[in-house]
Amino acid sequence: MLDFLSIDVGTIIFTLCNLLILFLVFKKFLFGRVYKILDERQNDVTETYNKADESLEHAKSLESEYSALMQGAKEESAEIIRNASKKAQQRSDEIISDAKKEAGTILAKADEDVEREKKRAQNELRGEISELAVLVAQKVVEKEINEEDHDRFINDFIENVGDLK
Amino acid sequence: MKVSDFFQGVKNVEIGGPKIAFSFDVFGVKINVTETIIISWAIVLGLTLLVLFLTHDMKKKPVKKRQVIAEFLVETVDNLVKNTMGEKFKAFGPYIAALFASSIFGSLVSLIGLRSVTADFSTTLTWALMSFVMIETAKIRTDGIGGYLKSFINPLNIISEVSTPVSMSFRHFGNVAGGMIITSLIYFALTGLSTAIGLAVPVFCIGIPAVLSLYFDLFSGFMQAFIFIMLTMIYIESACSKE
Repeated sequence: MLDFLSIDVGTIIFTLCNLLILFLVFKKFLFGRVYKILDERQNDVTETYNKADESLEHAKSLESEYSALMQGAKEESAEIIRNASKKAQQRSDEIISDAKKEAGTILAKADEDVEREKKRAQNELRGEISELAVLVAQKVVEKEINEEDHDRFINDFIENVGDLK
Repeated sequence: MKVSDFFQGVKNVEIGGPKIAFSFDVFGVKINVTETIIISWAIVLGLTLLVLFLTHDMKKKPVKKRQVIAEFLVETVDNLVKNTMGEKFKAFGPYIAALFASSIFGSLVSLIGLRSVTADFSTTLTWALMSFVMIETAKIRTDGIGGYLKSFINPLNIISEVSTPVSMSFRHFGNVAGGMIITSLIYFALTGLSTAIGLAVPVFCIGIPAVLSLYFDLFSGFMQAFIFIMLTMIYIESACSKE
């Protein structure tokens, strides 16, 4: 047994060795490993933040892109509507003008018909009048006239009637 | 304390240094392997295994409690070193941790009936000399060898330098060894008291020493370890800062 208060060389050497061993163990296996993990975690966090920033940027660019697209689409739709209304206007104008033209034709045709009818009526009337005239003439003249004179007479009369008109 | 002491009580107080387990000669110098060395080997081994266990298979996302403990320990030591010495002394962390662990476990082995490692003056002297070398190295680095030597023009400075390791080693040794002696004396006294009132089994030796050992072993051991590392850090830090 050593003295209560003693300085022992062996103890000093071994204690020194023990302390150094413990120091190295702590350094390598405790602090080293924990620092490594902490660093990795720190890197992870940084990476995550970077990723989040990137995503945000991406989202912003997408947003602007889409809003530009939306703007374009709005303009396009306005254009389409404008074009369509213009076309419709044109078409309606065409239809109206067509209708007018047709109406004109119809009217002309109607006029023609009327004219023809009138002529027919006139001819009929002429026949009737001639008969009437013969009758009247027979009654008035009370004498026989031959067929030739008769016709000439009627025609003269009608012509005179026509001139009078 | 021996197991038989629990039944028969401590009949005589015997205060001695650490026992020699065996000794061998290296180049004619007799090297003793004492109780202290064997226990400190056990402590180093135990701490190494503990550290390996705690830091085994660590993950970025801690899934095991032991990883949290390991990180907590490292961060606590780091913060202590940072707050006491500053950011640039971060590399001292493992040394301070090793010193603190050696000191506190060296004192606390008395709780399981072993002789405290720190109750051996050689141990505390070694640690104090370690600190002393570091302090002096820091001083030489800061002031340069000329400036360092110049400071000893005043011979009182030599005393002040030497007194640092002496006071550190004796403070630590004295507190733990004193606690050990007091514990022995208490067992002796309580055995005497039990015998005086005619009890074969020293009943008073149950419980009462445990309460006292809370102070002399736990509190004192922790305090001395803490004081030792704090002094080491403060001395090194102040040696590194120029006035």
